[in-house]
Amino acid sequence: MAALLEVKNLTVRYEPRLHRPLDAVRDVSFTIEEGGFVGLIGESGSGKSTLGDALLRLTTRPGRIAAGEILFDGHDLTAMTEDELRPYRWRDIATVFQSSMNALNPVVRVEDQFRDAIELHSPLRGGAVRERVRELFDMVMIEHRFIRAYPHELSGGMRQRVNLALALANHPRFVLLDEPTTGLDVVVQRSILDAVRTLQRQQGFSVLFISHDMGTVLELSDRILVMYAGKIVEEHTSADLLRRPLHPYSKGLMGSYGDPRAETVRLTYVPGRPPDLALELTGCPFAPRCPEAIGVCVESAPELLPLGDARVACHVAHAASEPGAVQPPRRFAGPEFVKTAEETREARDHDVLLQLENVSRHYRVRSNLRFITTAAVESASFELRRGAVTALVGQSGSGKSTLAKLITGVEGPTSGAITFHSDGGPLDVGSMRARQLRQYRRQVQMVFQDPYSSLNPTKTLRYILSRPLRNYHGLRGDALSRSIEQLLEKVALTPVSRYLNRYPHELSGGQRQRVVIARALAADPKLIVADEPISSLDVSIRAEILELLHGLVADDGVTILYITHDLLSARMIADQIVVLKDGRVVETGDALDVIQHPQDDYTRLLLDAIPNPFETAAATPPARAVTPAPAG
Amino acid sequence: MRYFLRRIGFFLATLWAAVTLNFIIPRLQPGDPAEIMYKKLAGKDAELDPAKIQALRVMLGDPAGASIWDQYWNYFGALGRGEFGVSYTYFPYDVTAVIGKALPWTVILVGITLILSFLIGTVLGAFAAWRRNSRFDSVVTLGSTFIGTLPAFWLALLILFLLGYVLGWFPTSGGYDSSMPGWNLDFIADAAYHSFLPAAVLMIVGPIGWILGMRNTMIMNLGEDYVRLARAKGVPDRQIALRYAARNALLPSVTGLALALGSLLGGQILIEQVFDYPGVGRLMGQAISNKDYPLLQALLLFTIVGVLLANLIADMIYGILDPRARKASS
Amino acid sequence: MSTGVTQTGGLVTELSGTGASAEPESTGPHWWQIIWASPKARAGTIILGIYILVALLAPVIAPYEGTRTDFEALLEPSPAHLLGTTTSGGDILSQLIWGSRVSLLVGLFGGLFATLIALLVGMVSGYFEGTWVDEGLSFLTNVALVVPILPLIITLMAYTETRSIWFTIFVITITSWAGAARAKRSQIITLRNRDYVTAARLAGDGTFTIIFREIMPSMTSLIMAGFFGAATGAVGAEAGLSFLGLGDTSSVSWGTMLYQANTQGALAQGLWIWLFVPGIVLAVLITAFTLVNFGIDLLSNPHLREDA
Repeated sequence: MAALLEVKNLTVRYEPRLHRPLDAVRDVSFTIEEGGFVGLIGESGSGKSTLGDALLRLTTRPGRIAAGEILFDGHDLTAMTEDELRPYRWRDIATVFQSSMNALNPVVRVEDQFRDAIELHSPLRGGAVRERVRELFDMVMIEHRFIRAYPHELSGGMRQRVNLALALANHPRFVLLDEPTTGLDVVVQRSILDAVRTLQRQQGFSVLFISHDMGTVLELSDRILVMYAGKIVEEHTSADLLRRPLHPYSKGLMGSYGDPRAETVRLTYVPGRPPDLALELTGCPFAPRCPEAIGVCVESAPELLPLGDARVACHVAHAASEPGAVQPPRRFAGPEFVKTAEETREARDHDVLLQLENVSRHYRVRSNLRFITTAAVESASFELRRGAVTALVGQSGSGKSTLAKLITGVEGPTSGAITFHSDGGPLDVGSMRARQLRQYRRQVQMVFQDPYSSLNPTKTLRYILSRPLRNYHGLRGDALSRSIEQLLEKVALTPVSRYLNRYPHELSGGQRQRVVIARALAADPKLIVADEPISSLDVSIRAEILELLHGLVADDGVTILYITHDLLSARMIADQIVVLKDGRVVETGDALDVIQHPQDDYTRLLLDAIPNPFETAAATPPARAVTPAPAG
Repeated sequence: MRYFLRRIGFFLATLWAAVTLNFIIPRLQPGDPAEIMYKKLAGKDAELDPAKIQALRVMLGDPAGASIWDQYWNYFGALGRGEFGVSYTYFPYDVTAVIGKALPWTVILVGITLILSFLIGTVLGAFAAWRRNSRFDSVVTLGSTFIGTLPAFWLALLILFLLGYVLGWFPTSGGYDSSMPGWNLDFIADAAYHSFLPAAVLMIVGPIGWILGMRNTMIMNLGEDYVRLARAKGVPDRQIALRYAARNALLPSVTGLALALGSLLGGQILIEQVFDYPGVGRLMGQAISNKDYPLLQALLLFTIVGVLLANLIADMIYGILDPRARKASS
Repeated sequence: MSTGVTQTGGLVTELSGTGASAEPESTGPHWWQIIWASPKARAGTIILGIYILVALLAPVIAPYEGTRTDFEALLEPSPAHLLGTTTSGGDILSQLIWGSRVSLLVGLFGGLFATLIALLVGMVSGYFEGTWVDEGLSFLTNVALVVPILPLIITLMAYTETRSIWFTIFVITITSWAGAARAKRSQIITLRNRDYVTAARLAGDGTFTIIFREIMPSMTSLIMAGFFGAATGAVGAEAGLSFLGLGDTSSVSWGTMLYQANTQGALAQGLWIWLFVPGIVLAVLITAFTLVNFGIDLLSNPHLREDA
């Protein structure tokens, strides 16, 4: 097929006034053929969104396209003036942005935003435009009454469907999807992605799908570009990337994505962090984190060269393709997180640590002058066993955060009993007063979702860790310092002296989350409530935090309540799974059991929403397009 | 609808608070406020003139030395009937008549300059944001910041000194010269000539807030996703600037318009003082120096009610302009 | 519209060094380094420093007492009277120097008290968000916000015989806290819902420790910006009141000088020095406050640092 979009040696440079200039996209070349569905995977800071902006010619100062060409149908977009470019916009090239919240003008009716886009680029006017908008709404399955609505009157999922319909308004030939479903509930996410794939097949436009979510990219795309530190490091068909990734970084990314149905969970992670692009780079940018690195890797940067029907930028992979060479491992040869079914079976016999019986929490909300009672949690019952990990799975609004507040004693239940079996006998959490609560909190600590907001930016790590040690153990002076050092060692922030006086903003996301865990450990708790502890971290390091949490359970006998919206990550670490829907517990059971034999319809819906490239890859012959999963 | 009711509710509650404040202020000192006022006015040992005491009592809502709650009640009654008492400066004229004479001068001057300042400031601010970091932007931003630090009444003094006294281009005081006030061309031309200098000061100082405010919100809006999407759609630059960025950036300015009126009236008192302009501000100055409490109280109440009404109108317009406001507030 | 008071964006990541003691190994710049690094803020700080010195050393620098009016009237500038004398026989230079005391005092205390009230109201209101306490305080704030300030101040002052500088400060304070209170309320609400506040509670810290050690350090830039904004307003209000003849009668301020210049016919007689100098020193002081606030904006909003 003919190339529709051809990117040649594209470099995007940022030149902020007060910082060093840096190339966020460096010498990138690839093509997308007519009707092709290409995925672009990369972590935050890899340059994938910068690349997307550049393709749309939306790069703004201090950034600029410093070199290279973007050929659309043979015409160089980078050389055009804005007026020359305008006819291409939205007629040939359309997009759906990352945050659906603000992509629509909040003070203009949805219909008028379609009208804009259609009248600018087609001869349709008046009633014909309205007809076209109806058609488009049918396409994305939204009722016509929302055509005259304002954006804030639509739900998040609806808004993103509207954005999709808007992108397709003028039958574009190329659509750029930049993380189109980030932040949406998994079930909604699934239905939008299904719509994308179906419409793409029907209408035959080309797609570049940018995402950090390995599973969906693998499942939807025919071909995948892997980006690292501003460069494309591997280009491969989806099926082959899954079966035999060539670049060690791709292997790392694949390894961080687990198969939920396997007996034993194995997840790898990539230690370290991406290079600072403002500094001079020599050698392969991935070399410092690469378990396969050889001498030449630190000396010269590998180029993206063909290898079979793929392209890869890796000295080791190319060397291995020589006849008779030693084959590098298929999997990422770095550190690994392992959870066996055996552990889960053992955990089943442990004592109960915390018990919830018919717990409800109602809120009275003032609406004008009347009070309305809403139930955030309704008669929830389940148990947490000592030294086990229990996952609480639910979508936003399911009541999982309310349950976390009830269990940590931040709020009391409206009815029902929460019983904590401490060493000194059972405690009724709901009825505790200030002093008891303080003693209780020492035994129940929290790890938060966002390590950027859970550490005070104005405090050093030493201060942050000293608080619980002072308050709960009365430590002072040398004893305090020794304990702080031990904590940092425990979460592997070594050498300790380098971290003690650091401020949180000087650490990476993963390191911050380690500090948060260390602070929780400082109180010497029995139970740790971990609220989405990995969902804001980069994919390649998530297993690192899972491994750390898992170590606390295995070595110190800490009990963990793992709260998440993501059934897949729940399966990876948990022994037990509790599924919540609209404040009610709909299913509980051993993690593997719940995955393999779900009892409740809602659990099944969540399961179907998990992209499963392993299954699709097994079902299709290599180097062929992938079939979409049936709509959930 | 709920939004509008809520705004009206706030207006009524604030109105009540303002009237109550007006009631309380004269009573903050111990003793009979009417007698204290009278003595301040006429000197410590003056004979009490029952007629004048009575005028004060009417203004205070206290005709018969009743209990504080009855006084409060009477006060509202008097306001309801439009009785604000008799002015001392312009004895025996009613306060309302005195204010009625001065009001058009201020309302016309402030009204015209405020609307012009708003329009000019908003356009300049939007343009500066659109051409961010250009020479135009630097000149406008630095210029407004600098002029913003000059006390407005001092600027008025300088302009009066230069254009009125030194160069003699404009009259140095008053609102009109010879002809009797009335709606004829001669008089209007005369009044406009006299109003030129005060208007000029207001037009120099007025747009600054709008320029800086509009520039800031517009720059923020230009970074929003819907503006990026509009660019991706191929919407021409002019339309992006007007329909997307400026349309949204205008919203905070509309609320600001009414709030600005409050501080504008403050400045107005000083400026009318400088130019001896026959408006409400000068009247307030006279009320202060003559200790004309009925006039002062009524002026304060009129000003507050005026600003509150302007706020209510601005809130209503905002509710129409921003569909989110109508829904979000509950 | 004072600069920056409304910028509650919460990007406080760069505030390192405000809380804990200075650490040799920390890499983030201290707040005073950030402010000093901006040429505008540096200029503002230096000007402010000079004004404070002049005010403190007024008895040493000023040739005469500011309140003396026994010189010959309407003298041209001469070595004895560098800026000449007024219609009523006051030395303009001396009045100018002594007047700086009034403006700075009003700015300092007016700013301080207004900030304190704003902080108290904003904190209580924000901390009890959604309760009746908050509803009441928010209503009070909104009322204070819409009521026209200067007419209210004038009316309050017209009722009292005492014309002391402290009464001026008091009146300015109670009429000018509202905007800052609203900004602080919303800042408190954002900060209070930060996870690190919950974390501090779980770490066993009490409410006071949390407010003063976790929340306050992140608010310093907002509080400072609020202070300079309020001080600017107070200095301007004092000048305006004095110009209306409502100032302290026992001392000289720049506003009083302008009042006298206006009422004693400085314009008609072409006495431009008398008219010009009090205004220009006032404008420069307000400029200095504005410039310092530019620097404080940089603290709370690192994005601006790119653009400075």
